[in-house]
Amino acid sequence: MKNILFLIVLIGCLFIASQLFVTSGVSTVWSSRQIELLKSLSLSALPKLKIDPSNRVAEDRAAVEFGHTLFFDVRLSGDSTIACATCHQPEKMFTDGLPLAEGTKLGPRHTPSLVGLAYSPWFYWDGRKDSQWAQALSPLETSHEHNTNRLEIARLIDGDKYYSETYSMLFGNLPEIPQSPKGASPAGNMELKNAWNGLNEKQQFLITQVFANVGKALAAYQRKIMPGRGRFDDYVDALDKDRDPTGESLTSEEVAGLALFIGKAQCVTCHNGPLLTNNEFHNTGVLPITGQLPSMGRYDGVRFARADPFNCLGKYSDANPKDCLELAFANDTNDLVGAQKTPTLRNIKETAPYMHGGQLKTLLEVVNHYNEAPVSLLSHNESKPLGLSATELQQLEAFMNTLSAPLATEE
Amino acid sequence: MNRPISFILLYLLVTTNANAQQPDLRIETSEGLRILIHSQLSPLQINRIHSWHVKIIDAHSKPVTNARVAVTGGMPEHDHGLPTQPRVTEEINPGTYLLEGVRFHMPGKWSMVISIETEENLSTVSLDFDL
Repeated sequence: MKNILFLIVLIGCLFIASQLFVTSGVSTVWSSRQIELLKSLSLSALPKLKIDPSNRVAEDRAAVEFGHTLFFDVRLSGDSTIACATCHQPEKMFTDGLPLAEGTKLGPRHTPSLVGLAYSPWFYWDGRKDSQWAQALSPLETSHEHNTNRLEIARLIDGDKYYSETYSMLFGNLPEIPQSPKGASPAGNMELKNAWNGLNEKQQFLITQVFANVGKALAAYQRKIMPGRGRFDDYVDALDKDRDPTGESLTSEEVAGLALFIGKAQCVTCHNGPLLTNNEFHNTGVLPITGQLPSMGRYDGVRFARADPFNCLGKYSDANPKDCLELAFANDTNDLVGAQKTPTLRNIKETAPYMHGGQLKTLLEVVNHYNEAPVSLLSHNESKPLGLSATELQQLEAFMNTLSAPLATEE
Repeated sequence: MNRPISFILLYLLVTTNANAQQPDLRIETSEGLRILIHSQLSPLQINRIHSWHVKIIDAHSKPVTNARVAVTGGMPEHDHGLPTQPRVTEEINPGTYLLEGVRFHMPGKWSMVISIETEENLSTVSLDFDL
């Protein structure tokens, strides 16, 4: 009897030891193909940011400083309480920690991170904007966000000494801004629209041009918000065929999570490249936001982008039409119904909650969601169930925590 | 440099360059049309919009000119298409077509369907490759 008991205990110990080996020792020796893939995820592989042909001041130092000041200025709101930084808080990696954005009122979407966003060809969860400056304009005139309008923005620039001088230096002299009506916009409520229609065509164009240029300065600043190198990047950069850097910068649990990330869990299919996003749109069966109908996602977003007067092909863009490739060749087919944009995983630990409506509170809930791959209420879920164990889900979470680092700052 | 020597040098440069440019992808249709694809981004990579030169020659090695060429694609395993809608915008040389707006956004198995419509017939072929 004692011998049988001893045998059972021995088999048990061997089983536990083998499981420990599987979970901690897996893939610490990477194949050359895996190393190639891992190196493509390091910030060392991040190419230089391309110019934005639609924004001629995108690289201008004075525009960056102008945009920086505007970003934190609450006067860019109807009741002087909301700035861009109200929702895009630098200390929270330019998010707000809330499920849904809270501007002048509660909004319908979760505030996305701005980290590394300048590399994306599309903006908003549904990609309704095709440049960072066009994106920056929309919240200013949205009633639940900044709740102001382009005439009041133009008047603010005109009435502030630093703003008006910097504006003139960057874009030329400010036009004459009408002192009445109080506010006007073609994108506002009926009162604002009527006021807008009371202005002549030339006034409308000149005011909108000032408004667009404010967006271009805001974009020049936001292009500087870039991720910093984390432990993950150090680990990958130290990888070579002769050396195993396990223990130098990542724990065995984190390495196991990384192996899952590029393997069984298939995260890397969408979260690829040094910013860990393909900046594209996927339906992953996320439940609709409470109290809302399921979102049509990118299917509607691409149509909004085409109709946007501030798009790459519009009269306020500085681009040559031949530079507007993404807009000209954008897909608009039915498989984009319910598709939302893949977010960056850089600093993902600090940007909870997750998904377009902040529906999932923790990273563990997110990996659980992908593990289950529930049926989508609209169209179809592109992902399939993964069959990951509880331990593997924790390993994935541990790996994603290695993507945190202080933001990159310029010299 | 006299004229015959410069002519020989030019010939060597052209032939060396032509030999070095192997197509990135190639396939033959059941009707015997050969499709040779040279990508602006070589080797092919994800997340960058780019164009392809699609050269089409017939069974007698003659260029197939004035064809209507259409390309669609997607990832059957993920049940979705391309992130873009590429279009042929011009025939840049006889039988060579400029396909603009190509972008892939995921690594894995891609399947591109190329259709070539001429006065005589319509050929369709599926080109599968890994990225």
